[in-house]
Amino acid sequence: MGDIAVVGIDCTFPGAAGVRAYWDLLMRGGAGTGPVPGQRWEARDFPAVSGSGGFIDDADVFDSDFFSVTPREAAAMDPHHRLLLPCAWRALEDSGRAPGDLAGTETGVFVGVMGGEWGRLTMSDLARVTPLLGAGSSAGMAANRISYHFNLTGPSLAVDTACSSSLVAVHLAANSLLAGECDTALAGGVNIVLSPSLGMVYGQLGLAAADGRCKPFSADADGIGRSDGVGLVVLRRLEDALADGRRIYAVLRGSAVNQDGRSNGVIAPNRWSQQRVLNSAYRRAGVTPDRVAFVEAHGTGTVLGDAIECAALGAVHGVPRDTPCAIGSVKGNLGHTEGAAGIAGFIKTVLALHHRIVPASLFAARENPQLRLGERGMRLLKSPMRLPRGESLAGVSSFGMGGTNAHAVLGSAPPTPRPAASTGARGGAARDAVGVFTVSGDTPEALLRNLAAQAEAVAGRPRGGAAALCWSSNRVKTGLPYRFAAPVRDTDELVAALRRAATPQEEPGSAGRPWGRPVVAFLFTGQGSEFPGMTAGLHRESPAYRRHLAEADAAIAAHLGESVSELILSGDERVHRPEFAQPALFAVGYALARTLTSLGITPAAVLGHSLGEYAAAVTAGALDLAEAARLVVRRGALTAELPAGGAMIAVAAGPEEFADLLAGEPGTVVAALNGPADTLLSGPREALERIGRELTGRGVRVGPLPAPYAFHSPLMAPAAAALRTETVPCAPPAIPVASTRHGRILRHEPMDAGYWADQIEEPVLMDTALGALALDVAPTHLIEIGPRGQLLRIAARGGRVPGAEHLHPAPGAGATGQELAETVAALYRGGLEPRWEELYAPEQRIVEPLAPYVFSAEQRHWDRQAFVSTAGPVARPPVVPPVPPEPGPDPVAPVARADDPVLEAVVQAVTEVGGYPPERVVREARFYEDLGFDSVMIMQLKNQVEARLPRVGEVSVQQMLPALRSVGSLAAFLDDMLLARSA
Amino acid sequence: MTRGADPADRGTVYVAATGTALPGEPVDNAALGRMLGVGEEWIDLFVGTRTRHFGWDPVTGEVRGSLAGLCAEAGARAMGAAGLGPADIEFVVLATATPDLLLPSTASEVADRLGLDHLPVYQLQAGCSGAVQALDLGRTLILGGRRAGLVLGGDVTHRFLSPRRDTARMPTEELVNYVLFGDGAGAAVLTDEPEGERVAVRAVLNSWTGRGRPPGQLLDWYGTTDRDSERPMLAEDYKAIEEHVPAISVEIFWELLDGLGWSLDDIGFLLPPQLSGRMTARIVERLPAGPAREISCVAETGNTGNALPFLQLERLLPELATGDRALALCVESSRWIRAGFALEKV
Repeated sequence: MGDIAVVGIDCTFPGAAGVRAYWDLLMRGGAGTGPVPGQRWEARDFPAVSGSGGFIDDADVFDSDFFSVTPREAAAMDPHHRLLLPCAWRALEDSGRAPGDLAGTETGVFVGVMGGEWGRLTMSDLARVTPLLGAGSSAGMAANRISYHFNLTGPSLAVDTACSSSLVAVHLAANSLLAGECDTALAGGVNIVLSPSLGMVYGQLGLAAADGRCKPFSADADGIGRSDGVGLVVLRRLEDALADGRRIYAVLRGSAVNQDGRSNGVIAPNRWSQQRVLNSAYRRAGVTPDRVAFVEAHGTGTVLGDAIECAALGAVHGVPRDTPCAIGSVKGNLGHTEGAAGIAGFIKTVLALHHRIVPASLFAARENPQLRLGERGMRLLKSPMRLPRGESLAGVSSFGMGGTNAHAVLGSAPPTPRPAASTGARGGAARDAVGVFTVSGDTPEALLRNLAAQAEAVAGRPRGGAAALCWSSNRVKTGLPYRFAAPVRDTDELVAALRRAATPQEEPGSAGRPWGRPVVAFLFTGQGSEFPGMTAGLHRESPAYRRHLAEADAAIAAHLGESVSELILSGDERVHRPEFAQPALFAVGYALARTLTSLGITPAAVLGHSLGEYAAAVTAGALDLAEAARLVVRRGALTAELPAGGAMIAVAAGPEEFADLLAGEPGTVVAALNGPADTLLSGPREALERIGRELTGRGVRVGPLPAPYAFHSPLMAPAAAALRTETVPCAPPAIPVASTRHGRILRHEPMDAGYWADQIEEPVLMDTALGALALDVAPTHLIEIGPRGQLLRIAARGGRVPGAEHLHPAPGAGATGQELAETVAALYRGGLEPRWEELYAPEQRIVEPLAPYVFSAEQRHWDRQAFVSTAGPVARPPVVPPVPPEPGPDPVAPVARADDPVLEAVVQAVTEVGGYPPERVVREARFYEDLGFDSVMIMQLKNQVEARLPRVGEVSVQQMLPALRSVGSLAAFLDDMLLARSA
Repeated sequence: MTRGADPADRGTVYVAATGTALPGEPVDNAALGRMLGVGEEWIDLFVGTRTRHFGWDPVTGEVRGSLAGLCAEAGARAMGAAGLGPADIEFVVLATATPDLLLPSTASEVADRLGLDHLPVYQLQAGCSGAVQALDLGRTLILGGRRAGLVLGGDVTHRFLSPRRDTARMPTEELVNYVLFGDGAGAAVLTDEPEGERVAVRAVLNSWTGRGRPPGQLLDWYGTTDRDSERPMLAEDYKAIEEHVPAISVEIFWELLDGLGWSLDDIGFLLPPQLSGRMTARIVERLPAGPAREISCVAETGNTGNALPFLQLERLLPELATGDRALALCVESSRWIRAGFALEKV
């Protein structure tokens, strides 16, 4: 049998909400048993049943909104199903992926459940039967609901073999994986003690423990105590898990299932069958029993059951061996979780192998001497057992009342080679690498709740670098509507950022809900922004930027004759000379743009200011890198050959205000129209100085530019003429180019030699180009692609793109990887799905465990009357859960229902069908995403609408379907119908 | 070369990775001079330490972190760099002169923060030689059959130094403590097979030689009966240290070298005792000249006591190539403990 990796776990058992709490309970030898909660039944009403057992807290809690389940359906759902859904979410998260990523995959779901008590309890009163109750009454729906809500299309089945159900489910899941039926499987089980009925049966059979506690292998063992539990593991084929870099808790080496057949009574255990299932599991795993260090036994603590199990275990494991085979049973801690019993033992064993220590078995101190464990080569664990180095093997047994036995063989996870630890070379004061930590939630409150949970979890870790945590959060904690993202370097910064954002109203910038994808425009900076050592900080920290700058460097070196990146990074002052400045800026612009696009940031349009148009053209696909590199080097050389004497000045006024001055100074021209009051002039130095003095005298602000050349003026004519003779292979841009040569979006004009020649002597029409860009693509984000901020300031002054967020991944000499990370974080908050891996070096892409998602505990559903109606506790009407009012998707548009009877009727119909409180049903609420409507509910909705709006007459579902986007769209559709009917 | 490197050498212990932690931003001499009311040049001239880190606010004296926090950070970084999880670590040895509490030990607090459980945890009360003592004990535990363990060293200064209004009247021998010491922690993961950085520990020297000699350094503590005592809590016999430490260092040097049969030319790197920038320079001058490159940290970190050799190791590891050898020397002047170790990357 092939190896199966356990890559994710979630569970809730009595006294242990979550995997961590479960392990803590086991290691401190705690027990989760307690008195029967009043919500289940009044203990005094059922004296024949033990007044205590294992009950999980909050069995009635269900975050129905999260799973888009209507309150009415949630109330009609089997509690087993309600507990499984969040458990599945957390288990998938624990496996290192966002659960939403599995949507549409052939992931299998295998759930052990026992009985189907809920269906029996709720469907027996025929007067109360409803479609919703009917849909929930089948145990099979336990698995199917997970598949439905997570959109998993692999095999999906509930398994009922009584108490061995959940280990049989694991066995089936493993076989399904090995058969190639699915690539990922969720397996486990659930059990909720809804009523005292099965407890009464155990009592009548003489199998019930008086104190409600299982005491496995103890001299005091006197029977079973029943318990709640839910647990799921995420399984993958070992080779897939290793290839995917998953965290592996343990490896399922083999498993087997068999049956007692016609044994000594249908519910009696059978020693020989148990021996056979153990042997066949070891055979399938390819191990011999002498190598098995520990067996998590079925161990219910019934006198007969313990005796038979120990006889079988002894017969198999009592072979010559170095140390006795340790045994124990988690039922001492939890009680018998029945349909979830196998998974409780399985998870305990997986965690024991993961932590390399096996917890002690409770009630072991008074070991039952009649079991003769020592003679049989076994040892009941009276204290925790540390497992030795290397691989340890362990077995898990689970036996069903009807004779279906299961045994699984687990081994330690293989050692995983870590990527070359260049992190070890942190060398004293070096800073930790920057990453972006992400959290998401289905509502604003959920986001705050989960920010607080993450903050608390990270604060409990030793201080350290946060990059691996960030990477893990990107893989797991993304995908829900409300988003948080912040760039951080270490855990201190991370905790501080999470705590700030978890405090409502503070720092609204780091969290929010995007309603679409961001529309990004790249603005490529031109000459004048260069400086020695530009982008060195980013180069040090960003592997992607290093890679792309090297590409540009290679393309340029062929023409420049030296390494431009070396020139840039070494802080060489020659970077100010045009023959180096132009290739250097082109290299930086190209590398920055490629870094962003490799991160998944695709521009909707590009704009380049003067020289910036070269890198913009490459990004738009108009020029290829080699061609652009050749041209830029040529342009730089041509510029350098120009005679000195030219200059440029910036004037804070429009050219119309000083046309007289320009006319009076031959050779002076407008070089760039950056904004309405933002003009650059070029010309002979002395002439410009005269204009400058005159303008200053008129109270107009004037500033010199460092350029020793009169760019974009007739003085550039020799360079332009030379460029015009080039042969420039170019393509139509694949991305709109807002041309600063033409001051509009480039249409059919090729970016050929003529373009580049004109471009150097004609004025830069920045303002109109920016205006055209705004009109054409309406960007939500402007990103400056250059080593120092220029264009964003120009855009801010000109006001052509109001409302767009300004981002700059390399804003000046102090820039590091931090600003690039902030750029990615801002765009993620704005709706982008970045390619996160590009942000991290390979050695940082390590899966770190993160605290699981915290669901809302606001909504509770428990109808005791329906479950337990035998005795006479005061009847409590089913409670329609209080659902907190939540602002709709668009809180700025309040619903004015009073003067809109159609909308009011729709709201009432939806409220009735979904069981929502009316304030939840706002105009913007979407039927499928927000209100969880399905086809059955739509039929009901149609009937409700027709009944409430008789004047509309009959509406077919076909007619209604296109209008079923939101409550508002349906109301509008019905309004039109009314209008048409009355016309 | 007197002995070939055998990667599968039984009976050899390896350093797989190191991790360090220094609290907050470095405090430079200008800032320290302002705090103490002394000239920056005085610190430069007499101590030669340029920066150090304090886990307490040099202005308000507010204590921001603990030794356990620093050690846990260093330990977690070392484990992360070695690619080992909590289940892989089989022992903890922590050396310090300044534990957070007498009980429970800082070592047990660190084990808890690192998620370790059910394993032996030792704490060594030591000064500058503590890191070597921890290494010595850790090596013994590995040779006794453990697979991997964590050794740590660290110290914090807040109990002995604090911003005081009356530094102007402080005697020089007390004032000097403020400019000598700093807070820090370091850790190393030891393994029984070459892993991670694959640095074999070829020798460890750890020998108390204080019989009949007065202490060169004193760190006192006080409790309910004598809390108002005016006696100095921190004192150093600088004359004795200046006189003896360089000479002892030379002896340690030769003892390690001769024990291994290595020659001067075999050592690529030298990790000298880190008392202060000035003292370390003086010690190095006295050591026999050879090709070895000096790896020191004290000028940037201050004297961080038990953390020092780990801070040096972290600087050393990126420089070490396969086959390179390094020698570390340590003198604890409290009661004259000679310590050192020899490393070789395999």
